Amino acid sequence: MCKSADYLLQLMRELMTCLLVLKDRNTEVNKVENITKREINYPYLTRPVEIYERENGHKIVLAHKEGGLVNVSSWVKTGSINETDGNNGISHFLEHLMFKGTHKHKAGYFDRTLESKGAIVNAATWKDYTFYYVTLPEGQNQENLKLAIDLHADMMLDPVIPEDEIGPAFTLGDDKVSQKRERHVVIEEIRMRQDQPWTKIYNSTNFNMYTKHPYKRDVIGFPETIASIPRETILDYYRTHYTPNNITTVIAGDFNHEEVLELVCKGFDFKGRANFDNPKHELDTPVSEPKYIELKGKINTGFAITGWLGPVAKDLKENIALEIVNVVLGEGQSSRLYQNLIEKSPDPVFNIVTTDFYNFKDGGNFFVQANYKADKKEIALELINKEMTNFLSGDMTEREFNKAKKKLKARFAESAETVSDIAENIGYYMTVCDDLDLVEQYPKVLEKITMKEVNDIANKYLALNHSVTTVLLPE
Amino acid sequence: MEKIILDNNIPLVLKENKNTPRHALCFYFKITEPEKKAGIYTILNRLFLQGTKTRDAHTLSQELDENAIDCYSEMKQDFIRFKLQCLNEDFAKGLEILSDIIKNSTFEDFEKEVIKLKGEIQAELDEPKTMAMDAHYSHIFKNHSYGHTYTNILKDIDSITQTDVINAYHTLLEKSPKVISLVGDFCAEDVIGLLKKYFLDIKNADCSVNNEVPKLEKLEVVKVSKDDASQAQIMQGWRVPTIFDNDYAPIMVMNTLLGSSGLSSRLFLELRDKKGLAYVVRSTYEIYDHSALFNVYIATEPKNIKTSLEGFKIELDKVKQIPVSETELENAKNNLLGKRQFFSETNLQQSSLIAYYEDKGLGADFESEFNKKVNAVTVEDIQRVANKYITDKYVLTILAPQQYLKEI
Repeated sequence: MCKSADYLLQLMRELMTCLLVLKDRNTEVNKVENITKREINYPYLTRPVEIYERENGHKIVLAHKEGGLVNVSSWVKTGSINETDGNNGISHFLEHLMFKGTHKHKAGYFDRTLESKGAIVNAATWKDYTFYYVTLPEGQNQENLKLAIDLHADMMLDPVIPEDEIGPAFTLGDDKVSQKRERHVVIEEIRMRQDQPWTKIYNSTNFNMYTKHPYKRDVIGFPETIASIPRETILDYYRTHYTPNNITTVIAGDFNHEEVLELVCKGFDFKGRANFDNPKHELDTPVSEPKYIELKGKINTGFAITGWLGPVAKDLKENIALEIVNVVLGEGQSSRLYQNLIEKSPDPVFNIVTTDFYNFKDGGNFFVQANYKADKKEIALELINKEMTNFLSGDMTEREFNKAKKKLKARFAESAETVSDIAENIGYYMTVCDDLDLVEQYPKVLEKITMKEVNDIANKYLALNHSVTTVLLPE
Repeated sequence: MEKIILDNNIPLVLKENKNTPRHALCFYFKITEPEKKAGIYTILNRLFLQGTKTRDAHTLSQELDENAIDCYSEMKQDFIRFKLQCLNEDFAKGLEILSDIIKNSTFEDFEKEVIKLKGEIQAELDEPKTMAMDAHYSHIFKNHSYGHTYTNILKDIDSITQTDVINAYHTLLEKSPKVISLVGDFCAEDVIGLLKKYFLDIKNADCSVNNEVPKLEKLEVVKVSKDDASQAQIMQGWRVPTIFDNDYAPIMVMNTLLGSSGLSSRLFLELRDKKGLAYVVRSTYEIYDHSALFNVYIATEPKNIKTSLEGFKIELDKVKQIPVSETELENAKNNLLGKRQFFSETNLQQSSLIAYYEDKGLGADFESEFNKKVNAVTVEDIQRVANKYITDKYVLTILAPQQYLKEI
C-alpha cells in the first residue's frame, strides 16, 4: 500500500465520535448519546473490528464474521481479583445466579427461549473477569440475534436473584436442609474439583505462589462460604461491580452494525447506575527460594505442578516471550520436555509432561505439569529442574524459536475461525488488558521479537529460586 | 459440495469455504476386523506419529510443528481417521507428510509406545469419572471390542506383539473402505491433483463388517469403590438402535429434551435446578456402527445416590407415560437442529462430519436428510421409543466410597 493511502486509512481509524439517536419507547423523546468509535484490524477478519464507548463508559465491540452464527457476550471486570477471604467464590456464585430470572422474565425463560432457537448459552468466571454468552443461528431477518441481545441485556442489567432460587443458608454437613437449590449446585461443582488430581495440585501451587494478592484464592471458593453467604451480600456485590465502565459487550457475526449498535444501546440502559473503579492491587513478588508442598491421595501415579509468577497481561512482548517458551518447552510432541523426558528417556519416569502459560492482568503464571511413576518423584523433579536450568542458560535453538513463532501465528488464524473464539479473544483484550489494539500489534511484535529477548524474559521470570512446586503422591 | 470417485475408488468430497485461512482434510479408514486383544488398534494409532522410513518421531513432530500443521490420527470404535489442518499455503506440505505417515510408518517404537501407553492409562484412571466410565463401558459392551476400555487394554497389552500391530496396519490399508473429505478455500482442480499424487496408490476396499454386539439380557449393577471420592459417579445405560434405524431421529430428540445439552433440559431442571443434586447431570446418545448407547449421568454427593436414582426414574417414567407437549417437542427439535450449526462451524468440523456420514454410507449430505427426519418426529414417536428402549435391561454403574455402595 502506498504511503498516502496508508496515512488516509490511519486517519479514518482515528477516534471518531458519532451521535446515536435512541428513541425511548415510553416517552417518544429522542435521546442523543455521544459515542466514540474506533476501529482496529483484527488479523484474519475481512473487516475492521469496531469499538464503541458510550458516555457512561459501557463499551460495545462489533466484529464481522461471515456465516450464519452470531455470538452475543458481555464481559464484566470482576472475578476472584475483587474477592476477600470472607466472600471468596462470590463472583462465580453470582454468575450462576444471574440465570435465575429478571423482573420481566422468570427463571428458566432465558435458557428455554434461546435454546429453543438452537443457542448455546453459558457463562464463565476467572480471576479477572466474568463473562456471559449466547451463540446461536442468526435466524430469519436476524430475529434470533435481536432476541438474544434483548434477553442478554435484560439478564445483565436486571437480575432478581430470588431467595428461593439461591436456597436457604445452611451449615455444611446439616442433612436436614430441604430446599437444595443453587448453593448446593455450586457446592457439587466444588466437590467435583476436589476429586480431580490436577485441580488439587494447581490450587496448592497457585495459593503458595502469592503472599497477599487476591489471585492466591481459588475462583470457585469454599463450600462453607457458598453455604452461608446472604442474598443481600450477593446483590451488593452485583451492584458494585456490574457497572457501565466495567462491562464490555461484544457481538460477532454477519449483521447490520448500525442496527445492532442501536439495539445494544437500547437494551443496556443502565438508568444512571454509578460507575466503580476496581482497586489496584500491589503486584506480588515471587518466592525467593524454591517452595515445595507434598500432598497425599488415593491414587496410583504421582502428579506435580511447578509454577512461576509472570508478566502483567498488558506487556505484550513479555507475554509473547513466555508463550514462545511455553511452545518450545512443553507444547506437543516436538517440545523439549516431551522429547527429552519421555521420548529419549532410557528408563521410563514420566507419563505426561507439559507446560502452560496463563495471562492475567496483574501477572500471568507459567506452569510445568507432570505425571510420573509413583516411586520416581525425586528423579522426576530433578529432571524437570535440569531441563529448566538448561533452557535458562540460553540453549534454545533457532529452529525451536522459529517453530514457536510459526505456531503462535497459526493460532491467530485458528482464533478467527469461529464467532465464539473471536468474541472471546476480544473480550479478553478489552477486559484484562483494557486495550484491543494489542490484537493488532500482536503479529508485529511476534515477528520482531528476538531469541535474546525471549531468553532474557525467561530468565527474568522463570528462575528456579522463584518456583513453587506441589506434588501429589499415593498414600 | 462436490463428490468425486478417485481412480482407486476412494470417494472424495470437496466443500469450498471462501475466505477461510486453513484447509481441513479427513481421511477415514473403516475397521473391518475387530481387534482380538484390547489395545491393538490403540497402539497402531499411536505409532502412526512415531516415525516413518525417512522421518523419525522427533523429525516428524518437529516438521509438523515448524509448519504449524495439525496432523494426527484418532481411533474410534469403528474407524481410524487422519485429520490434517494447516494454513492454506502449507497444504501441499501437509499432504506430503500425511501421505508419508499413512504409507511409510515403521512401527519400530512398538515397545516404547506400549510403555508410554500403560503409564498414560494409569494416570487417566486416577480420575474418578474415568474409572467409572471404564467400568460402565466394559460391562455394557462385555465380550465385544466396543468394551475394550483402559482396564481391558491393561489386561491384554503384554500379550500384544509388534506383529499383531503390523498385521492390523496391513488389514487397515488393504481391506478397509475409505473416504476423504476436504473443506477450505481452494481451487478444486489443484487439490484434486495433489490428492491424486499422494493417495492414488492406496486402494479402496468394499468390505462389509461383521461385528455384531451381544444383546444385553438383564439388569446389571456395577459398583466401583473409591473411598476418598467426594462425589459419587452414577451412570445408567441402555443399548438402543443406531444411526441406520428409523428410530434414530426420535431418540435424538428424546435425548435433547431429557438432557443432552443446555440449561433447559428436563434432567437439568429437575435434578440440578430444583433439587440442587449436581453440577453435572445429563443424558447422552452415543452412536457406533453396530450398536448405540443411551446414558444418563450424574455426579453427586455420595449420600444423594438414592435420591438421584429416584430422580432418574421419575424423569424417565414421565417420558414413557406422559406425552410431551407440542411446544416442548418443537423446542427440542429446534434446539437440536440449531446447535448443529455451532458444532459444524469450522472447516475441520465440517470436513469431519462429511466424512463421518460418507463412511457410514449415509451420503455426505445426510445432514439435510437428518433435518427432515427430526422435523417429522411426533409426540407419539417420543413416547414409543422411550417405552421400547428404556427397559429394565440396563447397566447401572456407581463409583463411591465403599460405605455408600453397601446400601445399593
